[in-house]
Amino acid sequence: MKKNAQTGRIRFYLIILGSPLVLIFLSIFLGRYPISVSTIFSLLLSPFTGLAVDPTDLSIILYVRLPRVLLGAIVGGSLAVSGAAFQGLFRNPLVSSGMLGVSSGAGFGAALALIVCNDFFYVYLFSFGFGLFAVFLCFFVGRMAASTQAITLVLGGVIVGSIFSALISFLKYVADPFDELPAIVFWLMGSLSRAEYSQILTAGVPITLGVVGLMIIRWRINVLAMGDKEAQSLGIKVNITRIFIIVCATLATAGAVCVSGVIGWVGLVVPHMGRMMIGNNNKDLMPVTFCIGACFLVIVDDISRLISSSEMPLGILTALIGGPFFIYLLKQTKGREW
Amino acid sequence: MAILTLKNAGFSFGDAVVFKDANLKISKGETLCILGPNGCGKTTLIDCILGINTLDKGELTLDNHQMKNLSVKKIAQKMAYVPQKHVRHFSFSVLDVLLMGRAPYTSFYESPKTSDRDMACDILNTMGLFHLKDRDYTHLSGGETQLVMIMRALIQDTPIIIMDEPTAHLDFKHELIVLETIARLVKERNLTLIMASHFPNHAFYLENEGIPIQVAFMNRQRIHLAGTPSVALTEENLASFYKVKTSVIDLKLSGKGHIKHIIPIQTLDNKIGQ
Repeated sequence: MKKNAQTGRIRFYLIILGSPLVLIFLSIFLGRYPISVSTIFSLLLSPFTGLAVDPTDLSIILYVRLPRVLLGAIVGGSLAVSGAAFQGLFRNPLVSSGMLGVSSGAGFGAALALIVCNDFFYVYLFSFGFGLFAVFLCFFVGRMAASTQAITLVLGGVIVGSIFSALISFLKYVADPFDELPAIVFWLMGSLSRAEYSQILTAGVPITLGVVGLMIIRWRINVLAMGDKEAQSLGIKVNITRIFIIVCATLATAGAVCVSGVIGWVGLVVPHMGRMMIGNNNKDLMPVTFCIGACFLVIVDDISRLISSSEMPLGILTALIGGPFFIYLLKQTKGREW
Repeated sequence: MAILTLKNAGFSFGDAVVFKDANLKISKGETLCILGPNGCGKTTLIDCILGINTLDKGELTLDNHQMKNLSVKKIAQKMAYVPQKHVRHFSFSVLDVLLMGRAPYTSFYESPKTSDRDMACDILNTMGLFHLKDRDYTHLSGGETQLVMIMRALIQDTPIIIMDEPTAHLDFKHELIVLETIARLVKERNLTLIMASHFPNHAFYLENEGIPIQVAFMNRQRIHLAGTPSVALTEENLASFYKVKTSVIDLKLSGKGHIKHIIPIQTLDNKIGQ
């Protein structure tokens, strides 16, 4: 009996950890430019077979589809895992990865760059920089209450977030309505359409640092969920651990947002899909949440690519696709993990 | 040999003095029961002992070390804490909650090992609560939750356990179950127990069970060590401390020996608070 439970568990892990890889592989077959399955296979095997391939097909698979799918996976995973970390840290299941103003700060930075110089390098730079700056401001607001207590930080996040939202509205108001405004609006709805390997590298550094940091500290997030006083009596340096988690989650989120724009929903609801599947123990939850987030965004992006010739922004599809799936999961598990 | 001492200790929140000139000395294997009315600062005192609040004045020594020189981790290897009311945010399994008691022995990048799991299962077994192992702890009753908190403290493997009103919010039977468990564990493991309580009868209960116990009264910024319950909890002291007229009875039960118990009769003034 116990043995069965154990093999069942191992099987679940293999499926959940392997599924992003399978989906990444399958997704390179999908796209609006017609390349047949057999062409893709011969193309993938060409290094071994030595057969000649069509350079257009090759560049679409290798430089358009593959980087985009890979970027989708790491962005989805890192948003989901930072959301799970923040939910544990703030002991609140309604918190998302944008809790401390990262997303609105990054959105403001991107909008500013789109108006000022309209060069995508500066869009990444500004959105990443303002994302971090927003979180720093939250700390500053929290510090006014002479503590880094969770509630003052959350309050700081709400306030800083709404200030940046107002600033984004201001930029939209002054933006050129024929050129800049659509670019800003489109960016704020999130997209992976500009994916390149260079982006994977730039975003990959903060994302890797953040996600690896969260994976290292993940069991301690359980202990923090017991409350500050109990966590300290269990030997945890509460403030330092909390700052470490915030820095990691912020790096991961800002890294993701600066290349993909604001993709809502993933950092709020995907962790709950994980909670329903595996439970609340962050030791298991964090890796599982990363994989679900990766799969989820890859699937959503596949649909966004296929659904119409002008791509649907991801921010629209995440909720439209995720919502029914979430309800289905709720029905299957009866929400027993709450 | 004192395992924990407070010397001329004082603590205040801003201008509000919670206690001052407090002197306490607790020996290994001894229990200290801190009695006092609502709002007298028992919880604040416990937070000071746990190192969550830092004393303004005086000093606290733990196992011959100055408290302020000890790391949070070292303190957690010496003192475990059972909260008055544990607030549950996420549904963890009972086993997951117990394993958190191993946090003082795990590095920041680690999670509990198989040996820690075995330890948790052992404790569940000896407490006769193995059936709770995989249960969702947010679905437990108040009494069961309190026992889980006590087990988490046990797995922390510390010489000292601190309990803040361990039987608050419990029904008649569960209150007794928790007290019986505490008495048994203190005896079996030679634990040093610091316990805040609203109920002077709890001090008598532990004394009746043969546990070396002292009573400290806490009120109006003062903490007064008053000796064993038999010495401290006299009708006169209870009248002057609680402003309650009582009768202390001494019952001889076959097989149980003498059992002392306080019967409250009536209040001596009708003031609420201190």
